Amino acid sequence: MFKFLSRICLLMVLLLTTYPFLWMFFSSFKTNQEIYRTAHIIPKFFNFFAYKLLFSNDLIKFDEVLLRSLFLSGGQAVLACLVTAATGYAIAVGRFWGKRLLFLAAMLLILYPKQALSLFLFEWMVRLGITGSLYGLLFSGVASGLGVVFFAQVFKKIPPELVDLARLEGKSHFGCFLTFLPLVKPALITYGILHFLLSWQEHLLPLLVLKSDELTLPLALAKLSDSSYRIPEAVGLAAGVVALLPMLILFGISFKRIRSALSDWVVS
Amino acid sequence: MSGDQSSKGILSFVPLFGPFLILWFIFWLVPLFTGLELSFTGHVSEMASDGAKVGEYKATWGNYQAALGDAKWVKSLGNTTLFVVGSITSTLTLSFFLASVIFRMHRVSQAICLFLLIVPSLALPGTLAKLFYLFFHGKSGVLNQFLVMPLGFQQVNWMMNPDWILPCLVFQSVWRWTGLITLLLFCGMQAIPRWQFETASLEGANRGMVLQTILFPGVRHLLWFAAIFLLVDGVAAFSGAYNLLGGSGGVLDAGLLFVTYVYQVAFPGGSGRFDLPLASAMSLAVAIATTGIAYFLIWSSSKKGVAR
Repeated sequence: MFKFLSRICLLMVLLLTTYPFLWMFFSSFKTNQEIYRTAHIIPKFFNFFAYKLLFSNDLIKFDEVLLRSLFLSGGQAVLACLVTAATGYAIAVGRFWGKRLLFLAAMLLILYPKQALSLFLFEWMVRLGITGSLYGLLFSGVASGLGVVFFAQVFKKIPPELVDLARLEGKSHFGCFLTFLPLVKPALITYGILHFLLSWQEHLLPLLVLKSDELTLPLALAKLSDSSYRIPEAVGLAAGVVALLPMLILFGISFKRIRSALSDWVVS
Repeated sequence: MSGDQSSKGILSFVPLFGPFLILWFIFWLVPLFTGLELSFTGHVSEMASDGAKVGEYKATWGNYQAALGDAKWVKSLGNTTLFVVGSITSTLTLSFFLASVIFRMHRVSQAICLFLLIVPSLALPGTLAKLFYLFFHGKSGVLNQFLVMPLGFQQVNWMMNPDWILPCLVFQSVWRWTGLITLLLFCGMQAIPRWQFETASLEGANRGMVLQTILFPGVRHLLWFAAIFLLVDGVAAFSGAYNLLGGSGGVLDAGLLFVTYVYQVAFPGGSGRFDLPLASAMSLAVAIATTGIAYFLIWSSSKKGVAR
């Protein structure tokens, strides 16, 4: 009985979780009138006007928005993987003065993240004269405490004998790191995707730092949802579908790897 | 482990951690001190009485005193506390329940359920807010149609009723994070050694006992980790409330979260006050409190031997 009830609960949660997204997909082809009748999911006609309007650049330059978000999130994810994996390796393998301080710096980044620091970061960027710079925004999101802690655990699994062997062969610590990097490929992919996701969803800092006509996806979505622009609801929903697709594809392709990397990580 | 203890040892690791340290310094430590300096910059009223230029640096506690006297800031802190506590308790309870149910399923069903559950975590918070507004909210919204009216209650105007705005924001947060936390807890459950379940089965333990004595202790360290993650994320929450309430706090400021209010104080996009020093003081005070609470959580979890 308990098993049956718990399965019913799970089914209801699954329905609540996924049905709205199916509704969003179908509603991106509907008129406002149809959208407000929430109970109906399938549109009368599959009208692509919302997608045409979105990519026509009449409302916002959506293709530029998409490219900007891809560049920002992709760039941050790749750089964050390299930078935090190298730091994690140093913490896992090295025995040097200041290692604990380095770990503390990473922990502070987790406890007081960039999102909470946005206001100060904005003021600092104003002083540096890099507001409006996409590169400034990109580099501000590369150092990640979560990444350092994650990779420190991952690299701890490399047998010390292997590291010693590589050192005996005359490799520098940086050389050893590059040698062992392919061994942690699933962890790299997992962390890269998670960092990409967090960067993809970032709202406040781009809102403060970027010029008003240079939008990222979260800013574009807020603009499209602004009732004062009187934009058809389907356009906002179409933007939501387009924003969700890359993440679904990324997670879909690497879901097995992500699960296995997370399973390895949680036991370490 | 390899590595030297000497000063030469640290030098050989500099190429590895150097870039992180440089970025940490430029984009975390310096901005933090910038905020600290800003928060001690003369408060508007003091500068006016001194005849000094507003924004000129003058070490003073004025901004902190002004923050404490700001009823709206205090309200936003109360709302944020409720939001964070509501999100953490609901998300963790639901996630643990779901992970324990999925854990007993067939491998293929496990993969399907976990993937479907994380879909909301992959969507932009703005998308969730829009979906909430169009799908759940409203007279013909799903909540009214399938939950409120069948139970014989009057339709609720969720975002216009001050009693319901905050629960709606909590709902959004739970909707967003439950899948990802479930995935994490599920991975933790999979890592529990098989022999524990076999022993429990031989001793005739029922489901409740397995849940209480094996599954819960097995993922307790992950529950702490998730609680800290949700705490930090909840305090810094902005996007969902911003999209749902258009940058305001909603009716009677019932949905005014801390970051939204700081944004209102600091930028013309909010109320137009452009009082960066006061906003910095507000931000910093909360940051110290949040970091302290998170540190306490880590400390108490390690004290109990939870953290691995």
